[in-house]
Amino acid sequence: MKLAPVDYTILAVYFAFVLGIGWILRKKISTSGDFLLSGRSVPVWITSLAFIAANLGAQELVGMSASGAKYGIMTAHFYWIGAIPAILFVGIFMMPFYYGSKARSVPEYLKMRYDEKTRTYNAFSFAVMTIFSSGISMYALGKLLQLVLGWDFNMSVLVSAAIVLVYTFLGGLTSAIYNEVIQFLLIVAGFSPLAILAVAKAGGWQGIEARLSAMTLPGGMSGRVMTHAWTYMGSSHSNPMGVELFGMVAGLGFVLSFGYWCTNYLVLQRAMAADSMNSARRTPLIGAFPKMFVPFIVIVPGIAAVALARMGVGYSIPLDANGAPNYNLVITTLMAKFYPAGMLGVGLTGLMASFMSGMAGNVTAFNTVWTYDIYQNYIRKNAPDRHYLNVGRATTIVGVVLSIGAAYIATRYDNIMDLLQLVFGFVNAPLFATFLLGMFWKRGTGHAAFSGLVTGTVAASLTWCLTVAEGKGGILGQVYTFPSAMAQSFWIALMAFTSCLLVTLFVSLATKPRPEKELEGLVYGLTKIPEDRGSWYQRPAPLAAAVIAILLVLNIWFA
Amino acid sequence: MLDLRVPSGWFFTLLGLILLGMGIFAPDTRAALTDANVNLYSGLSMLVFGLIMLLLAWRASRRAS
Repeated sequence: MKLAPVDYTILAVYFAFVLGIGWILRKKISTSGDFLLSGRSVPVWITSLAFIAANLGAQELVGMSASGAKYGIMTAHFYWIGAIPAILFVGIFMMPFYYGSKARSVPEYLKMRYDEKTRTYNAFSFAVMTIFSSGISMYALGKLLQLVLGWDFNMSVLVSAAIVLVYTFLGGLTSAIYNEVIQFLLIVAGFSPLAILAVAKAGGWQGIEARLSAMTLPGGMSGRVMTHAWTYMGSSHSNPMGVELFGMVAGLGFVLSFGYWCTNYLVLQRAMAADSMNSARRTPLIGAFPKMFVPFIVIVPGIAAVALARMGVGYSIPLDANGAPNYNLVITTLMAKFYPAGMLGVGLTGLMASFMSGMAGNVTAFNTVWTYDIYQNYIRKNAPDRHYLNVGRATTIVGVVLSIGAAYIATRYDNIMDLLQLVFGFVNAPLFATFLLGMFWKRGTGHAAFSGLVTGTVAASLTWCLTVAEGKGGILGQVYTFPSAMAQSFWIALMAFTSCLLVTLFVSLATKPRPEKELEGLVYGLTKIPEDRGSWYQRPAPLAAAVIAILLVLNIWFA
Repeated sequence: MLDLRVPSGWFFTLLGLILLGMGIFAPDTRAALTDANVNLYSGLSMLVFGLIMLLLAWRASRRAS
């Protein structure tokens, strides 16, 4: 793929705007709260789009289109049964405690609700995780641009990291959030024409359905499974994902998604920067509207690509060096075929934008957790605020440099990164049980939360060590074999959640409860949730009802 | 505080103008798999979106002052 001067111009315009926003916002920063928490003053439409954009990294875009080409519309479950219910839950039920407790971060909420050790466990694992995930996505982007455009890996990694560094260093969280909105809009502008063009070329959705039903997938299944989200979910052997209904709904829909959207500070930080409790609660709910439609611009082009490859019109699924299909290149090869110079620039800039919004999300979340939960807590306690502002700024540089380091580790040891992601999965899987009990059961105690988390992580690792899927896991024996790695990861999450829930329950009952007075504002029943007034779109409950109605229609339409 | 509608409005207006220019003055720049003038239509939609953002921001600033 070759870019024309106009494509580079568009890329340059984008760089100029993100840096310019950082430059304008730099004057707004006078306290550590301005820098790390946006001074809790961001309007709700901005936090909502940032809430979605921080999660919509380049890996998500590329990975979801790849899964679309591999599994079909079932991939949309990551949104429709996965993300959306969890997003509604955090907005309606959990945000009152996060925002109302005045906690500055998710680990700090754990400290207020449980104790110091639970917070430390969460803060450290989160800090390490954000660095590595931003490193991994940097690596993925560098590799992709190298493969597609022949750009130098070092140059694309260093330039994009430098730009993220400059605008977050100047304007802090506000700058990251503002840019995430522009990045989100640009992703939509850059990707939606591709979805329209690819689907139109393949004969519309009906045309795609007809072409796919006529083909056989690599595994031997009929291609019909790719255009139905629910019809083939009865057994793990009848769909290409190798997941059955219970594993999907309970594993992905409940444990994994709730664990991510309801406890991950990376996304919650955006909602917590909103200007009022009402805005903080509406942030996830308003974000859910665009989120529901993201599958149409990332997954549907992947499905259309498979149909196009059958039509003999000059498109084929890209292959890797071994001749196996390389689905990760589907989205960029489609762009090369459908976008002329000009629009191609917008598409690739959208890809860069998604990478930057993901990275800035990681860096700003890392910043706050490091400065408030680790530095202020363990290294220097009662310094003047000015000091923490400087620490926050310095941490931005350190965070970016560490991510670059992680990206280079990934270039050398591919397997280490897989292993790390696996370990992070173990640490994250039980978290939702801890927060659920923390917010809705005043009897839960600190010792119980900590032992629950540790047990959950151990249970997750044990499940992986005793089961096998696609040749992975089973290093301590082979008790069960999963039909796919995805099914395995859903069940690992279920085991972690259940064991954490049970241990936290039992240990809580055996340990001394905290006096109710200390739990005010932190737990359901001891917290006054402000009444909402105004039109339907100003109140959380009707917003959530609207989301559910659309969600049902989408699920039935594509069942 | 900076009204985000201003920079995003300018950004999309500018992108829209660039693409629209391509669509009008280089209408033969086509991609392999489509006959549509992609630059023209997407440029036009970005331009409209950008102008709406600017209009909203302008109205908000007038109401504030």
